[in-house]
Amino acid sequence: MEIEIQSEEELDNYTICHRCHTLHRNKVLADGTKALCTECGAVLYQKNRALIKNGLALSISGLIFFALANLFPLIKVQLVSEEQSISVLSMLFGLIDGGYYIVGFFVGFLVFVFPLMVFMIYFVLFLALRLRKGRELSRDLLILLAFVLPWNMSDIFLISILVALVKLFGMLEVQMGVSFWNFIAFVALDLYMTRNIHIGELWELRDEVYRRKQQ
Amino acid sequence: MRVDSKDLLRCPVCEAVNLDKGKRNICRRCGRRIYSHRKFRTEKSWAYLIAAIIFYIPANLYPMLIIDQFGIKTSSTILGGVIELWEHGSYPIAVIILVASIFVPIFKFLMLIYLLVEVEYYGFRKDKKIDKFKVYYLAEIIGPWSMIDVFVVALLVGLIHLSSVEMITGFASTSFAVSVLLTILAAKTFDIRVIKKD
Ligand SMILES: [Zn+2]
Ligand SMILES: [Zn+2]
Repeated sequence: MEIEIQSEEELDNYTICHRCHTLHRNKVLADGTKALCTECGAVLYQKNRALIKNGLALSISGLIFFALANLFPLIKVQLVSEEQSISVLSMLFGLIDGGYYIVGFFVGFLVFVFPLMVFMIYFVLFLALRLRKGRELSRDLLILLAFVLPWNMSDIFLISILVALVKLFGMLEVQMGVSFWNFIAFVALDLYMTRNIHIGELWELRDEVYRRKQQ
Repeated sequence: MRVDSKDLLRCPVCEAVNLDKGKRNICRRCGRRIYSHRKFRTEKSWAYLIAAIIFYIPANLYPMLIIDQFGIKTSSTILGGVIELWEHGSYPIAVIILVASIFVPIFKFLMLIYLLVEVEYYGFRKDKKIDKFKVYYLAEIIGPWSMIDVFVVALLVGLIHLSSVEMITGFASTSFAVSVLLTILAAKTFDIRVIKKD
């Protein structure tokens, strides 16, 4: 396919599908609608006027759920009279104590550090966009976000918790802690945000916000 | 200016569409370097991939989980764990672990070998039978799920320290985690745009 453009800036009117790499000419969308790839059906971009407001609310809720999920026990196990409660942090310390440094650090980054970073980046980014400040900061945050996002594995960790529970059921008495439900809420928010907020849209939003400020 | 869509690049960091200028491409929106296929060498990907396959072998041979219950030790490898779950009637979980720990890594190895061999020996030719973008995309999506068993073992080992029951992991979990990390690095160093230039 060939296209006719006057300058490189006009390439802003095009999108390449992240899944099948087909080139598309952008269309103006009504608020609340999505553009889908004609070849593979992937969501290319969408229009959401309230993105900054919603993003800010979602990232604050995500951080609260994350804090609650990590402060209190996820699971409680019991055998005869002995009881033990389990949280993500105690799991990490347990691994390091046991001498499993590689597994400990690996798991620590994938299920604790990176998910926390993703939500902190979203929070600071949406705050900066809302206040129309920190043009450079928002660029650096968006670049960092692109590197961290693929390493956030909290959804996979949730499934792993369920598998571990099934393995334990026969052996010990297991109870869900308060944090378990907070963790599910966190993963749900995380999935919602990563599915619905595309990095390309955030860059466009950033251009728009600071352009408006200059005028 | 007329531009062929084959001469356009998608910035992996900010998703902006860029003109492929050959050797050195700097994204016009985020300012990051976009690697061009013309400079692409397969050695790095091969090195990561071979190391990943080497680490995958002990991951399957050594016990993944050792359960010490009232002084009696039972140990199981990845496959052994799957069989145990199956025998206990936890069919869905057995299937999840089997797919995540055995099928997904092997599929990723084969896919990367296929893509690297294609690029190395046949150049950037077009293969109509297999849509390589779809294969790559699929591998990217399912890849991280191979971490399930490591997470499960990390949970059990990091947590269960009761006086009568203790869970220990062997060399298998470390080598499995290293193998997954190396596979991800192999895929990341593999420049997806070599596929496009067919
Ligand atoms: Zn597509
Ligand atoms: Zn870019």
